[in-house]
Amino acid sequence: MARAEKTAASEFLAGCRDEAPLLLGAVPFGMIYGIAALAAGVPAWIAQLASAVVFAGAAQLVIVQMLAAGAGALPIALTSGLLNLRHMLYSASMAEYVRHLPRRWRLLLAYLLTDEAYAVAVLRYQRREDAAPPADLRHWYFLGAGFTLWAGWQVSTAAGLLFGATIPAEWELDFAVPLTFIALLTLLLRERAGQAAALAAALAALALAALPYKLGLVAAILLGLLAGVWTVRRLEHAR
Amino acid sequence: MSTPSLLALLVAVGILTFLYRYAMIGLFARHSLPGWLHALCRHIAPASFAALTASALFVTGGEVQFAFDTPRPWAALAAVLVAWRTRSVLATIVAGMAALYLLKYLVF
Repeated sequence: MARAEKTAASEFLAGCRDEAPLLLGAVPFGMIYGIAALAAGVPAWIAQLASAVVFAGAAQLVIVQMLAAGAGALPIALTSGLLNLRHMLYSASMAEYVRHLPRRWRLLLAYLLTDEAYAVAVLRYQRREDAAPPADLRHWYFLGAGFTLWAGWQVSTAAGLLFGATIPAEWELDFAVPLTFIALLTLLLRERAGQAAALAAALAALALAALPYKLGLVAAILLGLLAGVWTVRRLEHAR
Repeated sequence: MSTPSLLALLVAVGILTFLYRYAMIGLFARHSLPGWLHALCRHIAPASFAALTASALFVTGGEVQFAFDTPRPWAALAAVLVAWRTRSVLATIVAGMAALYLLKYLVF
């Protein structure tokens, strides 16, 4: 039992460690969100609460930008609802790995299922079986990754709210966000189908950029999925 | 927007986002994933991050702008090369930010 606990702890810490570099992308994002929320007239306590309740960076930034532009509640809810739809796809992707866990674990991991936690945890689950511990404790790894991002997000939001106006825009810290996506994308592009999915999604995101409600982003991801499936089929036919 | 309606909006978005996240690992966990959905899911991460990257680099206010006379696309290119060589998230972000600052103060 003591040995199992030790393994759970080491999986948790490994998750924290592997998520840590992603904080370089998430922390500036969280601070920018805090700054933008204050600028949009959102009370600081509500901005901080949103980081715990919504816990989705891109959607939170869209919300404060739309609030600053004077948008109503319904368009804002629709836009963030569309933007966050991808989390259902992450949920489906994770289902086979966490289905056996007790409900309290699945509720907790669902709450922590962000872009960054998904990216790190899914790589752990997809690693070759021989790298896995004898008993499956990889949910502890998922928890470590998710918790690290959650803590970083809450603290960076608070930092953005506290130091808001004093961070010079010339630092361009928001650029760390696309850099994070570039790094993750490169890690995921090992096979032909994934490359096709990424290329199609990137081109579609540009072609559909003018669509309202950020619908273009959701459509681009769906088109990327189709391109990936089509490529798998074509490769199987060629064989 | 008044504070109560703002609060209601954020709680609604939060509940919706949680339901998305819990949908397949909780609400429909007893249902096994259909084969086609499982095939789709392999491509979710590359498609999502590619769309978000392209959008972050080249879309400004709903319009596509290839601003090759600014440092960002070139710093992103440097980051791609470092990511490809090192496969390290940390090295990629550090290299990309360093390239951005260098290009900004030396070239553009």
